Amino acid sequence: MTPSTHRYGSGPRTPETSDMVTALVRLREALRAAELPLDLPGVETQRRTRAQLVDQLEDYVLPRLIQIEAPLLAVVGGSTGAGKSTLVNSLVGSVVTQPGVLRPTTRSPVLVHNPADADWFDKDRILPDLARTTGSSAGPGALQLVATDAVPVGLALLDAPDVDSVEEHNRTLATQLLGAADLWLFVTSAARYADQVPWDYLRAAAERSTAVAVVLDRTPPDAVAEVSSHLARMLTTRGLRDSPLFTVPEVPLGAGGLVEAEEVTEIRGWLHLLASDSNARAAVVKQTLDGAVRNLARTAHTVADAAAEQAATVADLHADADRAYAEAAERVEEASADGTLLRGEVLARWQEFVGTGELFRSLESQVGRVRDRIVATVRGRPQPAQQVSVAVEAGLQTLLLEQAETAAERAAASWRSVAAGRRLLEAAGRDTGRDLGRASRGFRADADRAVRDWQHALLQMVRCQGADKRSTARFLAYGVNALGVALMVVVFAYTAGITGAEAGIAGGSALVGQKLLEAVFGDQAVRRLAAAARKDLNRRVGELFAAERARFTQVLDGTGVRDAAADRLRDVARRIDDLRFAAELGPTAAEQSALHDLEASDEEAAR
Amino acid sequence: MTSVVDQARRLLGRGTPDLPARVDGLRRAVEACRGRVDEEPVQQAADVVERVGTRLQLSGDQTVVALAGATGSGKSSTFNALTGLDLAATGVRRPTTSWTMSCTWGEDGSEDLLEWLEVPRRHRVSRSSMLDTSTAEERDLAGLVLLDLPDHDSTEVAHHLEVDRLVAMADLLVWVLDPQKYADAAVHERYLRPLAGHQEILLVVLNHIDEVPEERRPEMLADLRRLLEADGLGEVPVLATSARHGEGVAELKAHVAARVRDKKAVTARSLADLARAARRLQEASGAGAPSDLPGRTGPDRIAEMVEAFAEAAGVPTVVHAVERSSRRRAIHATGWPVTSWLGRLKPDPLRRLHLDVGAEGRRLVARPRTSMPELTHVQRARVDAAVRAVADQEAEGLPRPWADAVRTASVSRLPDLTDALDRAVSEVELGVKTPWWCRLVQGFQWVLLLAALSGLVWLISLGAGGTLVAPVWYGWSVPALLVAIGVGGGLLLSLVCQGLVRISARLRARAARRRLRAAVTEVTQRLVVAPVREELDAYEAAQAGLADALR
Repeated sequence: MTPSTHRYGSGPRTPETSDMVTALVRLREALRAAELPLDLPGVETQRRTRAQLVDQLEDYVLPRLIQIEAPLLAVVGGSTGAGKSTLVNSLVGSVVTQPGVLRPTTRSPVLVHNPADADWFDKDRILPDLARTTGSSAGPGALQLVATDAVPVGLALLDAPDVDSVEEHNRTLATQLLGAADLWLFVTSAARYADQVPWDYLRAAAERSTAVAVVLDRTPPDAVAEVSSHLARMLTTRGLRDSPLFTVPEVPLGAGGLVEAEEVTEIRGWLHLLASDSNARAAVVKQTLDGAVRNLARTAHTVADAAAEQAATVADLHADADRAYAEAAERVEEASADGTLLRGEVLARWQEFVGTGELFRSLESQVGRVRDRIVATVRGRPQPAQQVSVAVEAGLQTLLLEQAETAAERAAASWRSVAAGRRLLEAAGRDTGRDLGRASRGFRADADRAVRDWQHALLQMVRCQGADKRSTARFLAYGVNALGVALMVVVFAYTAGITGAEAGIAGGSALVGQKLLEAVFGDQAVRRLAAAARKDLNRRVGELFAAERARFTQVLDGTGVRDAAADRLRDVARRIDDLRFAAELGPTAAEQSALHDLEASDEEAAR
Repeated sequence: MTSVVDQARRLLGRGTPDLPARVDGLRRAVEACRGRVDEEPVQQAADVVERVGTRLQLSGDQTVVALAGATGSGKSSTFNALTGLDLAATGVRRPTTSWTMSCTWGEDGSEDLLEWLEVPRRHRVSRSSMLDTSTAEERDLAGLVLLDLPDHDSTEVAHHLEVDRLVAMADLLVWVLDPQKYADAAVHERYLRPLAGHQEILLVVLNHIDEVPEERRPEMLADLRRLLEADGLGEVPVLATSARHGEGVAELKAHVAARVRDKKAVTARSLADLARAARRLQEASGAGAPSDLPGRTGPDRIAEMVEAFAEAAGVPTVVHAVERSSRRRAIHATGWPVTSWLGRLKPDPLRRLHLDVGAEGRRLVARPRTSMPELTHVQRARVDAAVRAVADQEAEGLPRPWADAVRTASVSRLPDLTDALDRAVSEVELGVKTPWWCRLVQGFQWVLLLAALSGLVWLISLGAGGTLVAPVWYGWSVPALLVAIGVGGGLLLSLVCQGLVRISARLRARAARRRLRAAVTEVTQRLVVAPVREELDAYEAAQAGLADALR
């Protein structure tokens, strides 16, 4: 395959390449949008994966795809103390990076390139977040550039920090730099070659088919044969069969702390060959770039899964809060409809209001006489009407308060059963200084107001209903307050779910009220009034609880988890895969894929 | 568990008199925290109690010293250098050692210890069984059980697990590092940093020192000390050795021998483990101990709760029924016999509630049930709110897990509420019976009625016979007088008694209310206060236990 026929060839950018660039830029945006704020199990790894994908896109894949002709970047990575810096110096033939006995050594990465390639590296083409310096005293977070003729044109060496020392900064930087490499020159030593940490990196490299060359450094001459054959076998079993393996024996260092030239001739020769053969170079770049893109598309699905999981968790938590408050509203509705609210205090006041309780036990047929009694009572003692409505108010209030507390408690308990929910609760508790698992501070006042407003509205309804009957004697006789109280009692017994003993008490009491109202308004109107009052009550209760529930949903909205993020990531990842296959299968397939994409985007537009 | 304490007590002579108290303290704290505090730290503390207990039960004269480190750092070479024998396999192929190997100096009691450490029998060597003359140096090491561990950083994960297991059990840990690997994250982050509280039982060896040029060695050792300091291990001795060439081995041997001789490693390890576990448990359980726990709830909250319970139990209904029932009975007794039986036609309000069985009846019925109506939503809400208020007040100032535990405990027995209240009410002696003076009045009423009747019979027989003349007393006909006094007196008496009856019924109702409230108070004690108190006791026990463990 010659560079000109290759799709990442050094010629002008093909349409497929620009399609791919567009898709990858969209992938970067989608990754940025897929925030993972909730603390789900394994989220640390997922966040790191997401950050690594973004880094790799910015540091390597995008710049490499846009400028395919840029020099090959070989990153020298490996364990601390394996001799990376010494190796780089020996390859270059002079001290460009400071080795040392103290671990970890290299604190800022050094990039060695041919002066002719300077333009490629002194700008922010790759590794844009590292500042460029040319001095030797580069601090961390900088990239030290060294131009020397000892490195051939078309190839640059980057001395990366170690992957396994206590300096966490080194480890993250090394990971980032290895992600930006066209070729890994992985340095290990006789003491190190079976370590777990470097092998994790090598496994990752094998998974995304990054081009890797392994250097077995610092090996005692008498152990070279045994160790290198063992290492070769390990490489083979772990999917790195094709990686070249070089050996550098542990020898006393020569002048300036360099390994003798002949010990590294093999590596240097191989690198020079790679630099001079543009086909081989293109092949290395293609292998790594293809692998990186494939890995991006595949890993994007992992991040999409994580984002979907987060969205699902948010939905679950939302549902928990919804369920708790729906249940509370239902309880209140049930309690206010089954007649039990009429027992106890309310019933006593009501019976006091209409006369004596005893009298009304067997009264169905004698409403006329009762009515007269009521009239007398109402006229003579206006106070009891007030007492009934106060009793109703107190009963409803107790119910509302307790249900609000229970709902908050239940919602918080189900949130607390998940680690992510627990974290959110704690954060919300810190922000607001109030436990979400309790009803809000102003709820008592709100509930009071809601109940009073409802009673007020109910009286208003009675008043409106009676507007055309205002002149009638009966309406005047009973008065708005008495009729309102009667309506309240009817509302609480309206669904008539009363059974057994209660029927005699609550039902009987309500019946009196109903007969009274029917006598004034007619039975159709009474039914309508009661239904309207009941609906009004439920609405107000719903509003009260909605405000309580909002405390939970606000916390969820504040996390920034978006439902669509996962789908968008998957779409982009699929699009990248399509483009990859299209490029491999040739133009016909590319057209088909483009057609397919067109349909897909049409569908999307239609949606 | 007590045997652990006994065993620990046996170590009293070893200079740390409070070790048994600490083990016991942590054990109590674990028991109190279980199910209330985060499971993980509780389990860890329980494991520590178990492990320390077992270790103390085993030979206290022996010190288990483990050589741990990365692959290629020279653990096996060091092992060989210390034993003076070529026992452990060394080599260039990594990882070399796959099995833990042990070497014992002196014999007694080491078998159980090695069994506990799960060192395979074929990997055990006893130094004294070797046919060499025991030198003074060897005698110094008597009581040493030296372990050569596998590596902790190679690709062989099974090795890591073995290391993790034995690092938690050994009495003294010698970390063997080397110039290439001394700054590895694997050793510092996974092992050394978590051992920050265990400085006394750590020893760090920088092996392969021969590979470093002489003039760079102090610098490297200083760098290693810096890293250790960052791990919180600034006081751990650092030795430079070259096991291969014998440099520094004598010094290492002397160090180990000194530790084995003073036999403090077992205690030190136990104390460090206990302290770490206790601190973690304390963190999870939450500090900040309000000491004035008992009876923190104000009397008003308790009264409010009893009130809510009483209402839920229907106490007002029952009291009302008691008043009416006793009035009915008394009126029946004191009323004019001719009309008072009519009152019987009305049902007894107590019977309607199935509360009229009395003391004898209750003895016959195994478990009396009342017919009190079900709890209404409002009553239930009131009860819940009152209980919540009590729990809140009790839990005030408690750390989170304990406040939650109190809250949970306060409602844990409320499902039994209806049943418990029902039983409490049905078992109260309501004291509804006819008072003695009513019986007296009743007798008098009958006397009066008899007088009236006899007067009537007299009058009738007079009228029928026409012969007898009725005796006259102060100008009144005696039979007519008898009738008049009998009827009038009876009616008057019943009228007069009605007032008394009302007062007596009210008194009886009041007494019944008092007894009912006492029964309900007992229910609140049982269903709410006692479970809450249990949690508070557990909290105090945990605090006290942790304080003992951390003393």
